[in-house]
Amino acid sequence: MKEKHETEKAPPSQQSLVKSFLIALPMMALTLIIMSGGRIPSEPLNLLTLAVTYLFFNIMFFLMIHAGKTDRYRATVFITYSFLFVVSFITHMFEARGSMSLSQEKIILCEVPFCHLVIPMTLIPAAFTKTIIFPGSIIGGYASIASMFVIWIGASLSMGRGWCSWGCFFGGLDDAFSRIRKKPFIKNIDRRWTYMPWAILLAVVLTAAAFLSPTYCSWLCPFKAVTEFEAVTSFKILVQTIIFISLFIALVIVLPILTKRRIQCALFCPFGAMQGMTNKINAFEIRIDSDKCKNCKLCVRECPTLSMTEESLKEGRPLMSCMKCGTCVDACPRNAITFNIRGTPVSGSGNLKRLLFLYTAFLFLAIFSSHMIQDGLSRIIKLITTGSMI
Amino acid sequence: MNSLKKISGYAWAIVCFSIVPVMFIGNHYFSARLVSATGVTVSPWYSGGEVIRTVNHGTYKTIIHRPVFDGLIGKREDGFIQVEWMPVTALPRVIEDKIDFNGDGKEDFTFRLDTAAGTGTLTAHSSSVIGMIRLVKVKDGWVTRIQLQNIP
Repeated sequence: MKEKHETEKAPPSQQSLVKSFLIALPMMALTLIIMSGGRIPSEPLNLLTLAVTYLFFNIMFFLMIHAGKTDRYRATVFITYSFLFVVSFITHMFEARGSMSLSQEKIILCEVPFCHLVIPMTLIPAAFTKTIIFPGSIIGGYASIASMFVIWIGASLSMGRGWCSWGCFFGGLDDAFSRIRKKPFIKNIDRRWTYMPWAILLAVVLTAAAFLSPTYCSWLCPFKAVTEFEAVTSFKILVQTIIFISLFIALVIVLPILTKRRIQCALFCPFGAMQGMTNKINAFEIRIDSDKCKNCKLCVRECPTLSMTEESLKEGRPLMSCMKCGTCVDACPRNAITFNIRGTPVSGSGNLKRLLFLYTAFLFLAIFSSHMIQDGLSRIIKLITTGSMI
Repeated sequence: MNSLKKISGYAWAIVCFSIVPVMFIGNHYFSARLVSATGVTVSPWYSGGEVIRTVNHGTYKTIIHRPVFDGLIGKREDGFIQVEWMPVTALPRVIEDKIDFNGDGKEDFTFRLDTAAGTGTLTAHSSSVIGMIRLVKVKDGWVTRIQLQNIP
């Protein structure tokens, strides 16, 4: 305990109340303009949800700046966003089609909402045939293909695999369950499991190209359990249903609870594996200052995505699977791990670099998620006041 | 050299930040530009392929799509053809259509649609017609997909 006191230092990025307010002020202005769309809603419910969402985001951002800690406030927003996304999405589905199951009509009319997890499978067929192998709308409508591609390209350029901790509407579910236990029940995970998402990526990309069908969506995606799925009308669909429900329970709920790791995101998601490559073209990175690091390996134990290894500590940077969640940065007792900007030295101007990253990632999260959070909130308020979410 | 790298790093970080509001505010514009620049469409395996013929029956229409055999490279052995009847409000109780999809003057199959019962009966007149994959009622009519074999 004595040793802990000697080595632990206050985060260097901690700021006074006034300074924190001044630093957060541009975020307050930007989120106000973008969330409101420049006008105040006339309906009281919309005004309430906008106000609550706006305050929630800006209090969390202010606390990030003031406390100098990233992960706990990021996770609060990220997890809230994921759960309210599920509420909002499922309610929309019930409103539009009366159930969570995809009808043949929606498939044949190409009205299925497109999600980023499909992107890796569409790339080879798009290159060869100039077509997208998904029954969605190319442009216009709810969650169109082109709109999701633009968001993905923007996210890849602006924060790389930071998408998985700041943008993905599914990631918060995994993140939430991985935080339930104080200590992991399963402590050691064989590093070879980290090749699993690459194997799945290769398999789904090749099978999708061969069959011109998004095979991950059809056979593996666990998040169908909380969004939409095909109605069971055949034995094949029954098998697919059993698979995705089992995977959801195992990878998103049970294993994250037992291991305190984001198992679905780190060891299964093929989109996440592909997104790791975009970390290479992105300006922001996590770096380890080898002069400060005492090799206590706390970051290796704490990293929820298994991106910190003993080798990466020696190299001074995490693996390319790093999701920039900030857990290691917050956990390091010697402040040896920092948000850095590529091309700049690891030491010095740490706070400016952190702020530049936080402004980018948090603004992305705020803009992308605010409407889903507002809609989810309004559905819950409707449920409380009228007994129906629709 | 180090200063140049440092300046480039910070400049790129500012660009990364700027991308976020620009990308969200201009999402509609960028989506339209992306589609027009790449020319991508939804795969015919999902859209049903381009319409090759529309037969006007007066109160309602039969819409025939092109046979879809598209593969990643070249053609596949198995495919389908999509036929639609619309508008749903003007459809008679029973429709019987003879379809010649390859334009050789000979009917390839006859499809009998019972709109009241929601059933379809396929009678193949060509060895390339395998069977009915599905018959679906959509908001503006009925759609069927017939499985085909690609016989050169």
